Amino acid sequence: MGYLRRLPRFEYLAPRSVVAVCDALAEYPGEARLLAGGTDLILQMRRREVAPRYIIGLKGLSELAFIRPQENGGVTIGAMTTVRTIESSPLIRERYGLLCRTAAEMGSPEIRQSATIGGNLAGALPCADFPPALITLGAQVKLKSQQGERLLPLEEFFLGPEQTVVGPSDLVTEIQLPAPSPLSDGAYVKFHDRHAMDMTTTGVSAFVTLDQERRRFCDVKIALASSAPTPLRAKNAEAALRGQAFTEKAVEKAAALACQEAQPRSSWRASRDLRLELIKSLTKRAIRQAWEKAKAPPDGGRP
Amino acid sequence: MPRRARWPGREHRLAIETMQEHSIIGRPVPKKDAWLKATGEAKYADDHSLPGMLYGKLLRSPHPHARILHIDTSKAERLPGVRAVATGKDFPGIKYGNLPQTRDYLPLALEKVRYIGDEVAAVAAIDEDMAEEALDLIQVEYEILPAVFDPEEAMQPGAPQLHDHAPDNISSQSAFHFGDADRGFADSDLIQEDIFETQPVKQGMLEPHACIGLWDNTGKITLWASKQSPYVVWRQLAMGLGIEPGKIRLVQTYIGGGFSGGKQEAMPMDFCAVLLSKKSGRPVKFVHTMDEVLTIGHLRHPIKIWLKTGIKKDGTLLAQHCKIIANGGAYSSIGQLSMYIPGAMLNLPYRLPNVKYEAYRIYTNNGFCGAMRGHTLPQICFARDSQLDIIAAKLGVDPIEIRLKNAAQPGEVTPNGFRLTTFGFTECLQRVVEASQWREKHGKLPRYRGIGIGCGSLVSGARLMGHSSSTAEIKVQEDGTVLLVTGSTDVGQGADTVLSMIAAEVLGVQLDDVRFAMVDTDITPVDPGTFSSRVTFWTGNAVKLAAEDARRQLAEIAAQKLEANPEDLIFRDRQVYLRQQPQRGLSFGELVRLAEYRLGRIIMGKGSYTSGEELIDFRTGYGNMSPAYTPSACVVEVEVDPETGQVTVTGIWGAHDCGFPLNPMLVRGQVLGASVMCIGQALYENLIRTQGKVMNPSFRDYKMPLATDVPKLANVEHINIITRDPSGPFGAKEAGEGAATGVIAAVANAVYHATGVRIKSLPISPGKVLFGLKEMQGKGNKPANLVKG
Amino acid sequence: MKHLLPVSLRVNGEPYDLLIPPWRTLLEVLRENLSLTGAKRSCQEGQCGTCTVLIDRKPINSCLYLAVEAQDKEILTIEGLARSAEVLHPLQRAFAERGAIQCGFCTPGLILAAKAFLEENPNPSEDEIRRAVVGHLCRCTGYFQIIEAILAAAREMAGKGAQVGH
Repeated sequence: MGYLRRLPRFEYLAPRSVVAVCDALAEYPGEARLLAGGTDLILQMRRREVAPRYIIGLKGLSELAFIRPQENGGVTIGAMTTVRTIESSPLIRERYGLLCRTAAEMGSPEIRQSATIGGNLAGALPCADFPPALITLGAQVKLKSQQGERLLPLEEFFLGPEQTVVGPSDLVTEIQLPAPSPLSDGAYVKFHDRHAMDMTTTGVSAFVTLDQERRRFCDVKIALASSAPTPLRAKNAEAALRGQAFTEKAVEKAAALACQEAQPRSSWRASRDLRLELIKSLTKRAIRQAWEKAKAPPDGGRP
Repeated sequence: MPRRARWPGREHRLAIETMQEHSIIGRPVPKKDAWLKATGEAKYADDHSLPGMLYGKLLRSPHPHARILHIDTSKAERLPGVRAVATGKDFPGIKYGNLPQTRDYLPLALEKVRYIGDEVAAVAAIDEDMAEEALDLIQVEYEILPAVFDPEEAMQPGAPQLHDHAPDNISSQSAFHFGDADRGFADSDLIQEDIFETQPVKQGMLEPHACIGLWDNTGKITLWASKQSPYVVWRQLAMGLGIEPGKIRLVQTYIGGGFSGGKQEAMPMDFCAVLLSKKSGRPVKFVHTMDEVLTIGHLRHPIKIWLKTGIKKDGTLLAQHCKIIANGGAYSSIGQLSMYIPGAMLNLPYRLPNVKYEAYRIYTNNGFCGAMRGHTLPQICFARDSQLDIIAAKLGVDPIEIRLKNAAQPGEVTPNGFRLTTFGFTECLQRVVEASQWREKHGKLPRYRGIGIGCGSLVSGARLMGHSSSTAEIKVQEDGTVLLVTGSTDVGQGADTVLSMIAAEVLGVQLDDVRFAMVDTDITPVDPGTFSSRVTFWTGNAVKLAAEDARRQLAEIAAQKLEANPEDLIFRDRQVYLRQQPQRGLSFGELVRLAEYRLGRIIMGKGSYTSGEELIDFRTGYGNMSPAYTPSACVVEVEVDPETGQVTVTGIWGAHDCGFPLNPMLVRGQVLGASVMCIGQALYENLIRTQGKVMNPSFRDYKMPLATDVPKLANVEHINIITRDPSGPFGAKEAGEGAATGVIAAVANAVYHATGVRIKSLPISPGKVLFGLKEMQGKGNKPANLVKG
Repeated sequence: MKHLLPVSLRVNGEPYDLLIPPWRTLLEVLRENLSLTGAKRSCQEGQCGTCTVLIDRKPINSCLYLAVEAQDKEILTIEGLARSAEVLHPLQRAFAERGAIQCGFCTPGLILAAKAFLEENPNPSEDEIRRAVVGHLCRCTGYFQIIEAILAAAREMAGKGAQVGH
């Protein structure tokens, strides 16, 4: 019977550089866990879901705590950047309002102060809020190990609940966001029972780019949380909107398609039927809100 | 801006009026211990430690129902750092509990475990890590027995039996009939029948149970613990250990919330702390983790309520027949009382001549249920006041009118013998209608917004079996300060302050001059405890008597000195003077020193209060349970998101007859806090159990309201209805629970008026609302607020 | 013991040099090693906020934070908030005077979270306050008096400007 316990014993390593982290991971393959913000891992350890022999603490790794503008107009975010930093970064607010707003609605100020973007992705909880928002923003994620580094689209990162492509000797180092196109913006709409704090029952992120006349969807990306074992792109819904004018009918159709694409499951938290209803409602909301924001002049409707 | 922050509107005027009459009573003064709590200095049980202290942990059953064949503790005992291990066999095997007929607790399980979480063994080690490790080394061999989780299945012949003494798993039952219900139904124009269901809900106090036990080598036992009713624990501890209570000293620590979440009883951790101390010769501390707290029990009973009501066309209630089946879980707790209360108070605050009632509390292999703030009344009020709205709609009557028409009045005696001394229910309704702007809103709000009312009632302490009286002692010290000693605890509700205010008022000293002692059973007088909203009324009366006793002793001496009659003396503002000649007098301090130094008369006042009411006969259900009853009415406004089913409470207005608010700020705190707790039960909270396993034993998933779930300050108001009860101290009655009993029904009724969806099972979850709306749209119905009624 | 790590913490302005195992949380070290019991042990999973302390002026759940990772950081617990026994912080006074404290178990965490919040947002709206304290459960008050107290303290602190300490 697993009641909450004090933390299991472990040896604590605090490498001072990314290279040193990769070396440590290589030295103790499968025996070490990376500790970022700790908001998930500490709990899993208390519940004895995991009891790693080595904990590699990343809090001191200032090398990975950054938000850096790129020459191409994009932004790179270090994996140890906290949710709070993302929420309050003027650069993120200016270029990726969607990400800023998503961050601001996560957990409590305390959680946001500790939790990191890398931890949120690597934890790979199906209910996590960053993945759908980042996927619709076209994020790529960089992994490093002693063998070298790889860059892959975030969409390809998740394999299942709490499962990712991150191997035992890999470290997520950064998230790269492409330059936002003009006339684009997005919205992440989530639902949970209370008005804050809860794990997301269902979440939908929509990111849209409008045509010059601001009449049609030029490009659309939709991704869902808590709707499948991994964050899910609703590609049929996206395709149905692409090139279309904004009409309630088009939005309805996209939402219906998103429901078809989703594979939510029933659990004691919520039934499949409820999640499907929510996916429909939230997809519509996310598209509408994204449309409104994209249509608004820059800085106009942004927080 | 918080317009009612310090001197809340009407309460401000009330306070000014009161100040002319009283110097302390009626003022919204801060809680006495607030400064100690604001600086982190207040020590709760887990904040204490003793030299040489060991740390205890409990091993719990992983099975819902199993026979214990063998327990091997040898490996655990051999683990370095482990100092003692205990199993059920270390105790005398005496069952303990609340009422004689329902004692079924054991300190640790002996033959059987009856739910996932039942305590099987305990260890004490030099630190918590070691104690946890030791639990892993205890080997228990179980024979798994068939288990039953649903009360209706548990009542069937052939169902697994939990306790030998309880055939058909009936833990307790109650049945009574007052008036002539059959006749009442025959005379009715409309008969409404519904089934309502409530969910398991947890008190959710933030401080987990914690204690430190010490069994010294003279055989004296001391338990420092977070206990809201220390003397119940004291007695139960003695019972389960098979020793005299006189050998036990229980010392209360600061209490981080009670709500009857277990701090009113002796728990396995208490027994194990003292027993492991005996075995190890060291003090032993136990602290539950929050998932243990959420697993073990003391829940609010989930109840299935079948309710049939007969009513005249004009809205007069004639008869009610109610049957309830409660899922009691594995043990009784205070279950007999839990079953009596819904029937005994089914009618209140309404007038109802004919009542028929049957209740069954059923043992199942789940965590057990007991009392929780409001006891079983929030459940029954949810059913009754929801149904009253269904009836009002059918009759085309306004929900307020039907309540006004049937409002019980002061001076009435209910069919089961409750004597309503003061009972300002009609005024509660009138005032809450005004405050909430009911008439402007009801049926007139935009789509998906709705307003609903719910009402309830509560006792001001109950006359129960066993010891019921409260006692206070007042020690007047030579510096003119006062030490107030009672057996009552402050669980945060403000007993420390209100009881001190009563003493200060009577003796004419300042509130800061009164020190409130915490319970130490070696020093403080025996007391039933903090439950059923009894402390202000019962202990308050005892304090008043004790203070009057001390004042009488002082007045005699002052009268001699001032050459006056003792009756002509005024005690006020630390002065004692003649009513007619205020310039003739002396200071309170001078008087005390005159008494104690010159005359050698140490001033100690004593007072005891018992209500004089007869014991309730739980079999027939007849008798007056409490010296005074409080009615309340609550209006809630909600907004429903039709696309997600989410309900947001956007306003709450309550009126409650507390007799007289001794401290309006603390009364407001009680009422609003209790109301939000019931908003939690209405909308979010649900301890989900699958095959006896709690799926959400965590504050992440057991969802209590947050600051973002309660209405804006501008839409929150609490109104005190002043009736000055003749037996209450300075006219006061209950204030801790009653005002919230109608809140769940108010939410359910508001959701109905917003959406047309009538939800009869709690919580009112987004799924229920959303699918209810879909079903209605399928039928082409409109939300109720677009329809009259 | 090879597991013990030397850690230097600065708590309420005082330096502490400790030797602790790495699996100790900051909450455990504050309560058990330093006897600073103002931060409470309740849910232990970052949901209730009773263990909130400030690290470098920002609120964190000390139950989810390894003490070794607080090396060289400035930690403020409720015990270090008042300037002296006589001069309490405006938030402490407002909580005490306005009925925001009943059982008091949530109080230390809430006051510290509110302090960090008011530093960032000295003139908050009611809604902003609600969102700032979602990491804190209070089962006694229903939150109303807590929100009122934070509003009142904000007003007082704004009025007094920089002269209010910390």
